[in-house]
Amino acid sequence: MVSQWRGSRLREALRLYVITDRGLARGRSEVEIVRAAIQGGATAVQLRWKTGPLSEAVQLGRALRALCREAGVLFIVNDRVDLALVLEADGVHVGVSDLPAAETRRLVGDAMVVGFSPETLEQALAAQAAGADYLGVGPVYPTGTKPDAGPAVGLEHLERIARAVRIPVVGIGGITAENAAAVIQAGAVGVAVISAVVGAEDVREAAARLRRVVDAALAERGA
Amino acid sequence: MQVPRLHLVTDFQVCPFDRFLALLPDLLAAGVEAVQVRARELPSGQLLAVVRALRRVITPPAVLIVNDRLDVALLCEADGVQLPEEGLPVEEARRLLGGGRLLGRSVHSVAAARQAAAAGTDYLVFGHVFETASKPGLQSRGVETLQAVARAVSRPVIAIGGVTPERVPAVCAAGAYGVAVIRGILGASDPAATARAYRQALEGTGGV
Repeated sequence: MVSQWRGSRLREALRLYVITDRGLARGRSEVEIVRAAIQGGATAVQLRWKTGPLSEAVQLGRALRALCREAGVLFIVNDRVDLALVLEADGVHVGVSDLPAAETRRLVGDAMVVGFSPETLEQALAAQAAGADYLGVGPVYPTGTKPDAGPAVGLEHLERIARAVRIPVVGIGGITAENAAAVIQAGAVGVAVISAVVGAEDVREAAARLRRVVDAALAERGA
Repeated sequence: MQVPRLHLVTDFQVCPFDRFLALLPDLLAAGVEAVQVRARELPSGQLLAVVRALRRVITPPAVLIVNDRLDVALLCEADGVQLPEEGLPVEEARRLLGGGRLLGRSVHSVAAARQAAAAGTDYLVFGHVFETASKPGLQSRGVETLQAVARAVSRPVIAIGGVTPERVPAVCAAGAYGVAVIRGILGASDPAATARAYRQALEGTGGV
């Protein structure tokens, strides 16, 4: 089975990409947060599970899978390709310390979208050659969410990568409604956020605001 | 595939990878039948490299098992996966793994053992039976619970946790089919001789 998330459909789905984070959820359930984010206009949801029993991730993932399917939202699992396969996710996202993009592709075949977070232009090109469908580039701005993410690489870095590859690029790291437009202007097809949505008082409104900024910036760019 | 009776579980804090790799040929020759790679501290990419390197050394009839990470097991063509009790669901894991490969599951209670056996695991790992430095401060579950687990299920039960060669007859008498060892071998002054001692103790019990 070939993934339905290809070409323009994938680019559309990468406009507002929300990543779960239990630590920022202020006690609210991930399901509650994701539902509100989708209502606000999130187009992709990534399940990121770093601690706690995997059996809980399976439970949560099944709930998110159902929510996303119903809303036509792209559902991605971070790092654990086996979890993505169990959940029948739409895709899996790997970074430089995770399973390599080519190996990930071997496991999921054409049925899933494969996303990759390169740190360098060389890694971006290699991932594209290895069959990655999109790239997450960042941190674009300084961020406290991922202490392991390293210093901000800036918009120029994103722009350089976006120009060099054919696959779509999303910006990640410290992106808010105030600075999202610049990320799109630098060549991203969308923005990936954690705290700006998951940590917001009003998740739905936060997602809606970001989505409006991204849509406006894309329209202005003629994308 | 036959379920192995003597499992060696990695712990790269106790025995760093390079030393482990160097010891491995002697340990396999001494009668270690299965190596279970357990390295939760490693990022996936490093784990993949480690399991690949071990796959080159652990060839049939020796069995290579990956703890938890079914994706890594598939990529490395490992012989099996050992799911933690709080890991991936057994049915889905079996579907992804296919037949011809071993699917084990760690259990810590009779109820979990029954459930895992019904869901289609090939073997169960129960522990920890005795006090062990690998699980400091945790109350051991004892030979009695091991016996209850072994009686409750028709699958082979592997005992883990503080099982020394001297204790092998007792755990086998309680219904264990085999044993899984970390420090018992890797922490021994002569790991290969100790592996042989486990092997002889198991052979003395004649299996289930």
